[in-house]
Formats: sequence, structure tokens, C-alpha cells
Amino acid sequence: MGIISASVWAADLNLPFLSIDTGTILFTLINLAILVFGLKHFLFKPVNDILAQRQTAVDKSLTEAEQAKAEAEATKAEYAEKLTAAKEESAEMLRKATRRAQERSDEIVAAAKAEAAAVMQQNEAELEREKRRAASELRAEVSGLAVMVAEKVVEREINPADHARLIDEFIDSVGDVQ
Amino acid sequence: MLVMAIPAFLRGPTDPTVTGPHVITSWKLGPLTINLTETVVLEWIVVAFILGLAFFLTRNLRVRGVSKRQAVAEMAVEAITNLVRDTMGRRWLWFTPYIAAVFCFSIFGSLISLFGVRAVTSDFSVLLSWAAVTFLVITWTKIRYGGIGGYLKGFADPMPVMLPINILSEVATPAAMALRHFGNIAGGGIIMMLVYYGLANASHMIGLDIAIFDVGIPAVLSLYFDLFSDFMQAFIFIMLTMVFVSNAGPAEEEASAS
Repeated sequence: MGIISASVWAADLNLPFLSIDTGTILFTLINLAILVFGLKHFLFKPVNDILAQRQTAVDKSLTEAEQAKAEAEATKAEYAEKLTAAKEESAEMLRKATRRAQERSDEIVAAAKAEAAAVMQQNEAELEREKRRAASELRAEVSGLAVMVAEKVVEREINPADHARLIDEFIDSVGDVQ
Repeated sequence: MLVMAIPAFLRGPTDPTVTGPHVITSWKLGPLTINLTETVVLEWIVVAFILGLAFFLTRNLRVRGVSKRQAVAEMAVEAITNLVRDTMGRRWLWFTPYIAAVFCFSIFGSLISLFGVRAVTSDFSVLLSWAAVTFLVITWTKIRYGGIGGYLKGFADPMPVMLPINILSEVATPAAMALRHFGNIAGGGIIMMLVYYGLANASHMIGLDIAIFDVGIPAVLSLYFDLFSDFMQAFIFIMLTMVFVSNAGPAEEEASAS
């Protein structure tokens, strides 16, 4: 006969209402231990793992977001700087271009003026020449004409001295006209 | 037989008896008698149910796109973890599964009475076992933080003449916890049984063979004695466990913990 006897069927046996039963205590402690380790393994471990993972993920995305923000700010600052530089550059270019255009237009105007002056001068010289030529031609013609007219008017011979004087006077007066 | 059985059932309880749990089978282990009682079988059901629930709730856990089940599991874990942290402090977080286990065991062990069986927690041996664990943890904590000398010296504090009283108070802690829980649940069960019995008798008195008053009316009382009381006792039990255990260690701890 072993230490554990055959199971006794005790169908009609109830423990007292307030009882301390060794078997119940033993089984309860075993059940409690099973429950503790079961809950630890089936509930706490997986859920806490997931919570930790989520925490890690959240931390990671927060860090990433901060990094991205810092990067964006840096880029923004860089762009602002570039934009300022570009504006300055364009203003400079515009200034230069304006100045060059001004210079160029001044040059052109000056050249045009000079050319115009040269042309005027040339024209004036030519005109002068033409005038002189016309004057001398006119003088020659007029003197002939005057002699002829005089001959016709006077129809007489005057002495050559008077003749010459009259012609000269006439030529002078004609010459004054021009 | 069947024709007789149905009227007997419908007549309601006629002979209320207050007994302990039924002994299903027992073994002789040397001088000890190991009983397998009704309570233990119900404990198996309760433990299997709780573990099954935990297993079910933690299927397909995900970091994102949390299912309702997972949300429930996370809420439960976080709630009990926060409770332990707030009551006991960070260094006791490892104790959380035990607190959760006792809480679930107590709640479901009490609520199982809704199915018409004895509540697991209306057996004093069960509460005594849990309280004994609390007592052991308290003692272990005192020895751990005060040394065995400090622990023994604590009994002669503030003066040696207090020794019996200190021993008594040390034992009274788990005994009071166990008795409080047992008394509330077992007492509630007896009251409910009497209510069913009384209402059945009232039905018979007005000439009804069927215990018509037992339908619906006891449910109102059951709300308190079965639902509220079960929850309260489970909560009180774990709160007392946490408070006694954490008080057994040095009071401060936030400094070392954080």
C-alpha cells in the first residue's frame, strides 16, 4: 500500500461552512501560481512587448520628425539666403545694365550729334562754295548784262573812265546785295 | 422521474442548508487527507476561463491598427499596471501579474456563483491561501529590507512587552483580509439563498405551486450581493495586499526609483 491510498468516493460529504482544508489550500496555491504565470506569459508579456514597441516607434517618429523639421528649417534659411543673394545680384545686374545702356545711349547720341554736326558743316561748306560760284557766275553775267543794258540805255559812247567807274559801282552794289 | 423533477425544480428551494464545499474525492497522503472539493474544480474552470480570455485577447497584437480585443487587453494591462505603480511605487512593478491574478481570480471566482454554483471565494481555504501569499510577501519584504535581525527586532518594537501584540497583529493582517473577503461573499451568498427561499415560500403561501416570486425580484438584490460586492471585495483584497506589502518596505522610494 503506497503513501497515496485509493481515492475515496465521498459523495455525501460536505466540508463545514467555515473550514480550513489542506487540499483546497494546496490546490488553490497551485492554481494561483498557474494563473500568475499564465497571465504573465499570455497577457502581460505580449501586451507589454507591444506597448514597448509602440513606444519605440513613437519615439523614433518623434525623433525623425524633429530631424525633418530641423532640416526643413535649415533648407528654408538657406533658400532665404540664396533668395537675398539672388535679389542683390539681379539688382546689381539691373544697375549695371542701366548704366551701360545709359552710356551706350549717350555714346550713340553723341556720335549722332557729331555726325550731324559734320554733315551740317559739310553742307554749309558746300553751300558756301555753291554760293560763291553762283555769285561769281552772277557777277560775270551781271557785268555783261550791265554793259549791254548800259549800252542799250545810253546808246552812246561814254568815256572809258566813266564807263569803268560805273561798272565798278554797279558791281559793288550788286556785290553788297549778296 | 422527469415528470417529478420539473415540478420540484419549479417549486424553488425548499430546504436551505448552509454547508461548506462538497468533497468530490479525497486521498490519504500519510497523515494528511487531501480533499478534492467542488471549490477546486470551480477554480480550474475559473483559471481556464481567465487564461483563455487572456489568450484570446492577445491574439494578433499589432503596433498599429489596434483591434478592439487588443485595445481591451492593453487597457486592462495598463490599468492594473498604473494601479500597482501608483499604490506601491515603481520598484514593485514586477508584482503586477500577481495582483492581476488575484484580482481576476477573485472577481471571476465570485461571479461564477451567477451560474448557480458555489462561489470559489465563499470557501475560506481559498482566501486563506491568497492571504498567506500576501503574508509571505510581507515577511519576505521586511527581511529583505531590514535583514532577519531587523525583522525579528521589529516584534519587540517599541518595547519587548509588546511582543505578543505584535505577533498577533502580524497574523491578524492576512487573517482579517481572508475573513473579510470570505464573510462578504459567503454572507452575500447566504442572503441570496434566503431571499430565494423566502420568496419561494411566499409564492407557496398565496397558493402558487411554482415559485413565481423568485423570478426577477432577487435580481435587484443580486446586483449588490453578487456584482457590486464581488467587485468591491476583489478590489479591497488587492488594495490591502498592495498597501501592506509596500508598507513592509522602506517608506521612501521615489528617490531611488527615479
